[in-house]
Amino acid sequence: MPTRPLMWIASAILISLSHSPVVFAEASEALWPVVKEAFFAGKNIEPADFIRLEGPRRAESGAQVPVTLTIDKAPDAPDAIKKVYLIVDANPIPLAAIYHFTPLNGKAQISTRIRMETDSYIHAVGETADGKLYMTALPIRAAGGCGGLVDSDEAAIRATAGKMKVNLEEPIKFGEPNPATLLIKHPMFTGLQRDLASGGYRPAFYIQKVELTYNGKPVMHVDLGVGTSEDPYLRFFYRPDAPGVMDIKATDNEGKEFTHQVEVKG
Amino acid sequence: MTPMLQNVLLILVMALATPAWAEPLPVKEVAAGVYVHQGAHEDLDAGYHGDICNIGFVVGSKGVAVIDSGGTLDVGRRLREAIRKITDLPILYVINTHVHPDHIFGNAAFREDNPVYVGHAKLPEAMERRKESYMRNNMAWLGEAFAGSEMIKPTRTVDGTLELDLGGRTLQLTAWPPAHTHADLTVLDRATATLWTGDLLFVERTPSMDGDTLNWIKLIPQLKALPAARAIPGHGTPTEQWQAAFDNQQRYFQVLLDDLRAAIKKGVPMEKAMETAAAGEKAHWVLFDNVNRRNVNLLYPLLEWE
Ligand SMILES: [Zn+2]
Repeated sequence: MPTRPLMWIASAILISLSHSPVVFAEASEALWPVVKEAFFAGKNIEPADFIRLEGPRRAESGAQVPVTLTIDKAPDAPDAIKKVYLIVDANPIPLAAIYHFTPLNGKAQISTRIRMETDSYIHAVGETADGKLYMTALPIRAAGGCGGLVDSDEAAIRATAGKMKVNLEEPIKFGEPNPATLLIKHPMFTGLQRDLASGGYRPAFYIQKVELTYNGKPVMHVDLGVGTSEDPYLRFFYRPDAPGVMDIKATDNEGKEFTHQVEVKG
Repeated sequence: MTPMLQNVLLILVMALATPAWAEPLPVKEVAAGVYVHQGAHEDLDAGYHGDICNIGFVVGSKGVAVIDSGGTLDVGRRLREAIRKITDLPILYVINTHVHPDHIFGNAAFREDNPVYVGHAKLPEAMERRKESYMRNNMAWLGEAFAGSEMIKPTRTVDGTLELDLGGRTLQLTAWPPAHTHADLTVLDRATATLWTGDLLFVERTPSMDGDTLNWIKLIPQLKALPAARAIPGHGTPTEQWQAAFDNQQRYFQVLLDDLRAAIKKGVPMEKAMETAAAGEKAHWVLFDNVNRRNVNLLYPLLEWE
């Protein structure tokens, strides 16, 4: 992922913008061409109505901005969207996550909470199996979700990191898409937060991948970035054919694995 | 409008808005020697003018203690002018009740007085942690009106309690465990039994959360037991019915927590809960929609782990 150089390009643009005499900044359309080239160099991305993004016009907190991504196209359609990049143009590290859907999702919809450093467009870029790209964008006003200082006690954080909680919406309807929420306790350190004790930057420490299976079959997986908020929240759909077991495996950027299992009863 | 013209206009407007001398802030003597300037109920966001909370001072026979300095250097200067209209005694102390930008960014106005800056033991750290984002946000919100505003840390900190002698009267400062923020300080003027609560108490304005709300709720009985005849809240009108004001605040907290816990239990997402949680409280508070939504954004992700 070309996030490193991108981070500096985006920062440079931000700095030049912040020195302009505009008092009230707004989500800038100027960032996307740069961000787009970094992620999808030379590729054509078609705007599409069937990808929808919902979020607040103005975020209450840049640390936990609720957004919902919906693909109005069945995940088993021949031209289904297989994965979606969620990108916050103006974040120092723009990638929030990549969601990989399968027909076992039943419905391709994700609600999550993201970090936003400043006013920005967020882009959802969907990719089909044959590599066609489609996108939609949403401007959100926000402040201060990425940097700042962290003071939390490292040992205490590591002791609880990776703890998971799953809520299945009941009653379970077999053969249909059912909503579920997954919460993962994790600080999702961005690598951009200053550390009071050392005076330096706290190294990035985050959940990098979440894999979900149902009765052994892959339902979806998510590549997470530090643009996803602390204690990652995912509301998603799964389509169970019969009672069984949902397995979740989360892996952090240090390679540590966390697992959780939920029984889905009739 | 061209950017050039815009700049010229901006400079002209600034020149008119910032006279060389500072207009004294209106203050009210709520008890003998205790003066309060009551800020306007504006949101801490774009369109904010830097003067939204209660700031003021207490005058003893030896000198003056300032309690919170406002949201900009200019507001601090105007508070200083208000003091100078009343007394020529030295300004001995500038006390900050907590880290929020509307309470601290006037500190630099008193630098020439060489006061002791006083705050909670954890205030310097809280200031350091928020410095970058506070400077950036306040610059964006206030533009030129924020010029010269600085974050000045306490030079004396309070861990537990501290008494300050102003000559003929003593201020008792108490540092609290995490509540409205992680570094809240109250100031009790014993001579008049006047309690400066900082933002541990909101009157009229919807209470805003930042530190540890569950702990704040636990501290309210202790706060209510303080030997005070009146309180000067962080925001809103100073009142002798201050214990009832704490009860109002407690009621809002409880309704909000109950609603959020019920929403989480029912699987109502945070976005929906922002619209509905504590809706019955709306009639009792100003700026309710903005502040309550932020409170939900802060509390909901924490309560999910209960
Ligand atoms: Zn406050």
